[in-house]
Amino acid sequence: MTSHAEAVHGGHEHHGPPPAHKSSRVDARVLGMLLFIGSEIMLFGSFFTVYFFVRVVNPDAPSEWPPPPYEFPVFVAGINTAILVTSSFTMHWALQSIKRGQRSAFLAGMVITFVMGLAFLLTQVIEYLHVGFNTGDGAFASVFFGLTGLHGAHVAVGLTLLGMVIIRGFRGHFSPEHHHGVELPGIYWHFVDIMWIVVYSTVYLL
Amino acid sequence: MTTTQHEPEQVEAYPEHFEPPHGPTWRLIFGPGLVRGVWVAGLFFVLGMLLVAGLRFWWGWDPVWLWDVILPIAGMVTAPIGFLGGIGAFDYWLHYISGRPTRPEDHSGHGARTWKDYFRVNTDHKVIGIQYLVTTFTFFTIGGLMAMFFRAELAQPGLQFLDSQTFNGLVSAHATLMIFLFIIPAFAGIANFVVPLMLGAPDMAFPRLNALSYWLLPIAGVLFLASFLAPGGSFATGWTGYAPLAEGQPLGQTFFNMGVQWAGASSVMTALNFLVTIITMRAPGMTFWRMPLLVWANFTTSLLVVIATPFIAGSQFFVMFDRIMHTSFFTPEGGGYALGYQHIFWFYSHPAVYIMMLPGFGIVSEVISANARKPIFGYRLMALSLVGILFLGFSVWAHHMFVAGMADWLRVPMMITTLLIAIPTGIKVFSWIATLWRGRIHLTTPMLFALGFVTMFVIGGLSGIYLGSVPIDIAASDTYFIVAHIHYVLFGGSVFTIFAGVYFWFPKMTGRMYDERLGKLHFWLTFVSFNATFFPMHYIGLRGMPRRVFDYDEAFGDLNFVITIASFVLGASFVVFVYNVVQSWVRGPVADANPWRAHSLEWQVSSPPPIFNFDEIPQVVGGPYEYGVPGARHAVMRSGEAAREVQHA
Repeated sequence: MTSHAEAVHGGHEHHGPPPAHKSSRVDARVLGMLLFIGSEIMLFGSFFTVYFFVRVVNPDAPSEWPPPPYEFPVFVAGINTAILVTSSFTMHWALQSIKRGQRSAFLAGMVITFVMGLAFLLTQVIEYLHVGFNTGDGAFASVFFGLTGLHGAHVAVGLTLLGMVIIRGFRGHFSPEHHHGVELPGIYWHFVDIMWIVVYSTVYLL
Repeated sequence: MTTTQHEPEQVEAYPEHFEPPHGPTWRLIFGPGLVRGVWVAGLFFVLGMLLVAGLRFWWGWDPVWLWDVILPIAGMVTAPIGFLGGIGAFDYWLHYISGRPTRPEDHSGHGARTWKDYFRVNTDHKVIGIQYLVTTFTFFTIGGLMAMFFRAELAQPGLQFLDSQTFNGLVSAHATLMIFLFIIPAFAGIANFVVPLMLGAPDMAFPRLNALSYWLLPIAGVLFLASFLAPGGSFATGWTGYAPLAEGQPLGQTFFNMGVQWAGASSVMTALNFLVTIITMRAPGMTFWRMPLLVWANFTTSLLVVIATPFIAGSQFFVMFDRIMHTSFFTPEGGGYALGYQHIFWFYSHPAVYIMMLPGFGIVSEVISANARKPIFGYRLMALSLVGILFLGFSVWAHHMFVAGMADWLRVPMMITTLLIAIPTGIKVFSWIATLWRGRIHLTTPMLFALGFVTMFVIGGLSGIYLGSVPIDIAASDTYFIVAHIHYVLFGGSVFTIFAGVYFWFPKMTGRMYDERLGKLHFWLTFVSFNATFFPMHYIGLRGMPRRVFDYDEAFGDLNFVITIASFVLGASFVVFVYNVVQSWVRGPVADANPWRAHSLEWQVSSPPPIFNFDEIPQVVGGPYEYGVPGARHAVMRSGEAAREVQHA
């Protein structure tokens, strides 16, 4: 590769670009993740907007929500909420552990977080199968499946990111100095958790 | 470039993580590139098809092969992902996911040494900028041909050679291509090339994400065009795709729903990249108040994109779910709320008007200041007015819905906020005029386009004030007056600024100068035929000709014939541009590093810029527009100074 690299740089004075000047104390990757999450919040925002339209603005909205005889599985989803919120704490524990250089605690924390996320997702799939209504059963079902489905997709993305961390973690990556690869999926995972609390309160409790 | 000692195949750029397979045929098929992109896309299409059919079979749903479901999943989700993987957009990330050690970026994916490198995943922001521009101008040509096609149909009243669904399909695809595949990404292309240079940065903050966001774009374009092959023809509901109309449409509508997702994802990723680049990679001394206005414009535009674009993604998801999964977000029979679509759609699509305008404001500020040889008038207010438009832009969406049957009390607040936007916009127009005042004006081609923009945009802005007023809007809604307004703003506005930008940075991008005489010919042909095409539309609109119709009253026949002829001249004027660009790119005279004697950083490096932009990051010491100010400097190119000192010593 060295001869190739020389070809790229044209001459022999340089071996790559000059280091970019850091004009902000914020880390570029963290800022990128936060902006991405901002965009994601707006995507959820559009789903909450349509929820607001069909339930509040719509003059023909049913007075009881969900319209009988349908019911939302509030209790099962509540247990699911507890699982997901706990997984945020284990994620934080994993990150703190790698920052302190405790590898086995880090790996244990990551695996527990991943398993809890997976349990959440599988519970949701089972909930879908037994919920007693389908997407075609009216606007209440549309927003129910819309919001929980959108969130489920985000859990799936989050699990992919956590899976990456676990694979790399077991292969010996990450250290107290280099843990951005843990921190960024962690930020995303916390976002997914907090968003679930909002979704759960809106869809199931309100 | 001292590349002669290497074998020819090594000359092409490969990403740093890729070890070339042995043998040319093997490499063609399995190496990252378009060939692998095509066959992996085919493979993923089959996988997606089997996934859908398998799940349907498992759940025992009746038609296992339901193309209305298979096409959106296999054709519009998995196959494009396969394509992206095939061309190599995910190679680094797959390498990372598999847990192999990260290699420090050796930047071998940078730069383009042959034309073939433009057809690869390339992480160099300058290559990506040119990829964007060539792609978007290709779609501009296609969209323009569509317009000429339906203008020919409109030359006379009655139905000549199109049927109604095809006519509606052409109108819809014309608008969709021009908005999502030309104006928005063409600005992203210019900014991709120029913004890192202006900031004194070696590249964008996330080069691989940058490459990925470019490659999402052709996918959207191909989907929009492929809709013409769908049974029932292309999407025909206008680019607005209103529900519930869109929900009863044939399969082509789904292509629109999904195409918008790809274009939107591309635009969000680019915007995110711009924001991080502008915040974290400015050269030392480049404070926010020393940034060129083009950078300011892209900063505010990117904020708009990141915040607003998810709403159009949402709106198209809902329509698609209503169409495919029988949900009832917008179908009143199932308890949905039809007007909700318009609110959600316009909450993106009105800010999108500014996404299509603010980067143009930035380009015009650069061009006018450099060509009038004067500091831009009211620099800080110019920047702040962009921020003002950013905030106001989110509070006006319902002025598109005055006649849609929304709540009456929303009308007046929306009218007031709409008219308020005239203030920051007016600040900009008056500042440009004040910049010209007693300047030494050089009427170069980019300057002509910039001046053409200012005049045409004022006309479009004024008709916008009419339409923002509820009583006039109620009368003029859905007439050709709207068509005239949108084209004065988006053609006389955005497209003129894109031309200005392409001419202005053409020497920087290609290292060659365009032909000034042909450029001026292009401008005057465009300017005159543009007005001849769209100005009469104000009149026939106020006389009552409705828009989006293939047939109309005999009384409008003569003027429509004139408009059609003028639109063909407008189409022909684009040929001059294409000839000029292609001919100059191949054998135009070699351009100087700084043909406009401009101050901003991109002009202080060679044309085209070196592969990493700067030998050493420059030190910014002043504002970018200090033309004619004695002793003023924007930046000190450090390595140049150092080199000279060494020579003297």
